[in-house]
Amino acid sequence: MNAIEIRNLCKNFGEKQAVAGLDMTVPVGSIYGFIGENGSGKSTTEKIICGLIHYTSGSVKLYDRDYKDPDVRSSMGVLIEAPGCFPGLSVWNNLMIQATNLSIENKEAAVREVLIKVRMEGAAGNKYKNCSLGMKQRIGIAMALLGNPKLLVLDEPINGLDADGMRIMREILTDIAKSGSTILISSHILGELEKIATHYGIIRNGKMIVEMTAEELEKNCPTFVAIQTKDNIKTREILQKKYSKVLEDEQKEYLRIYDAESPEEIVKYLYDNNIIVNEVKTDKIGLEEYYINLMANKEVK
Amino acid sequence: MSVNFEKNTFKKRIKSMLGVDIRRMFTSPLFYIMVGVSLVIPILILVMTKMMDGTVSVDPQTGKETVMEGFKNVWQIIGAVSGGKQGMSMDITSMCNINMMFFLISIFVCLFVGDDFRSGYAKNLFTVRSKKDDYVISKTVTCFIAGASMIIAFFIGSMIGGAIAGLPFALEGANVYNVIMCIISKVLLVGIFSSIYLLASVFAKQRLWLSLIIAFGVGMLMFMMIPIITPLNSTIINVLLCLLGSALFSFGIGFGSKAILDKSSLV
Repeated sequence: MNAIEIRNLCKNFGEKQAVAGLDMTVPVGSIYGFIGENGSGKSTTEKIICGLIHYTSGSVKLYDRDYKDPDVRSSMGVLIEAPGCFPGLSVWNNLMIQATNLSIENKEAAVREVLIKVRMEGAAGNKYKNCSLGMKQRIGIAMALLGNPKLLVLDEPINGLDADGMRIMREILTDIAKSGSTILISSHILGELEKIATHYGIIRNGKMIVEMTAEELEKNCPTFVAIQTKDNIKTREILQKKYSKVLEDEQKEYLRIYDAESPEEIVKYLYDNNIIVNEVKTDKIGLEEYYINLMANKEVK
Repeated sequence: MSVNFEKNTFKKRIKSMLGVDIRRMFTSPLFYIMVGVSLVIPILILVMTKMMDGTVSVDPQTGKETVMEGFKNVWQIIGAVSGGKQGMSMDITSMCNINMMFFLISIFVCLFVGDDFRSGYAKNLFTVRSKKDDYVISKTVTCFIAGASMIIAFFIGSMIGGAIAGLPFALEGANVYNVIMCIISKVLLVGIFSSIYLLASVFAKQRLWLSLIIAFGVGMLMFMMIPIITPLNSTIINVLLCLLGSALFSFGIGFGSKAILDKSSLV
């Protein structure tokens, strides 16, 4: 069973087509990283899933039911764009209102639990409008976590979080996924997303261009040997005589050799050509680089 | 892998939605400010008009003298006896009375409902609520409670203001029963107005200015009917008429509000 199943989804805003025949499959229990450029249709798709905007054509199913099914929808948590809180009310009251909205039996305990989870228990009495950007983001996450939702839709949840906040967020989401809940998360911070996501979907111009599991990404991301020498330009010329794919990294610090058997082989080859290698390491391209290459229409492998 | 979901019945949905709105109403300062203002307005009106009563103002160009006339009786601020001479007059007693509360109620409804959309809470609210009937019912009930509280606060304020201004409490052409029926009728009338204002608010969503313009416009059109159907000498007939009107309007306009929410984007 899939938590979200979208087929041929289209959404037009007047003349503009925000989503153009999108297909998307989010398996139950997965952490689905939803990636795309600004304006690619991520937020629009998420809003459609949450029933906040209507789609033009296609179909959206949640847990094999119609996406409007009230039983499924009452088990959803959401954080889209900014957290939806009343600025004049305290953090506690905002969360209590959402706990009431979700018909949670023991509201106080549930609110206390999520506040502890997002490390905000000390700020419960603060007015929402007086909270910092990072705190507001944590409150939004706490709000989405209330009632242990089966499906969590998070749009840029780590925006505005500090390093510690990101770590906490990672731990929380991993724990939720372990309990069988499904998480759809969109973020531009791909390094963070890569640490938790089990599935990925890359959207461009309203269309899904790639859907894959974390294992498939791993296979699609080639390993390489990175070396650093005193004169990388000269070294590159020498390496290109033997290896077909030698590239410089973005910072222009290392040379990457994609078709080498082993680092030792390269070091020996360069030594034979009177070049001393300062540093050598094996690495592989990550989600971010894979995504950038994909977006630039480069051949990844 | 099968996932089971708890049944989200209408009873459960309406209970939680009412819980949200009632909690919001009582935890936000807006409700207390509005009730406070409703309490103070009649006191100010009665005391100030008493102070100005009999004051003569002269137009410097024409030399025409105008005598300011204030309230002669506390009950004038609640309503006029139908058929009486104040019935169709446009002086201060016919304009500054309890009926102006129906405009103040529009401000409350537009702010209260619009806050859901302006704050972004609508995203949390409507993600877990695919059916909009519970939202419309709950908002109508909550706004009715708030509006009724404002009408009662105005009534209490009138009594206090009348006592401070030293105005007579003697009833002419009506009795205590009529006054009670008049107040109940006005309270019931809140149902009609709050459902209209709710419709304006869900149509305008985060655009407060638009909801206020629509609410004020419609309020102006319906304003003149208030003294006619809720005079000071109201009877049970007036109460039943207002009850029926309130039920019909809430039901009919509520459907309109639900249709708008169903058909339009919520963010």
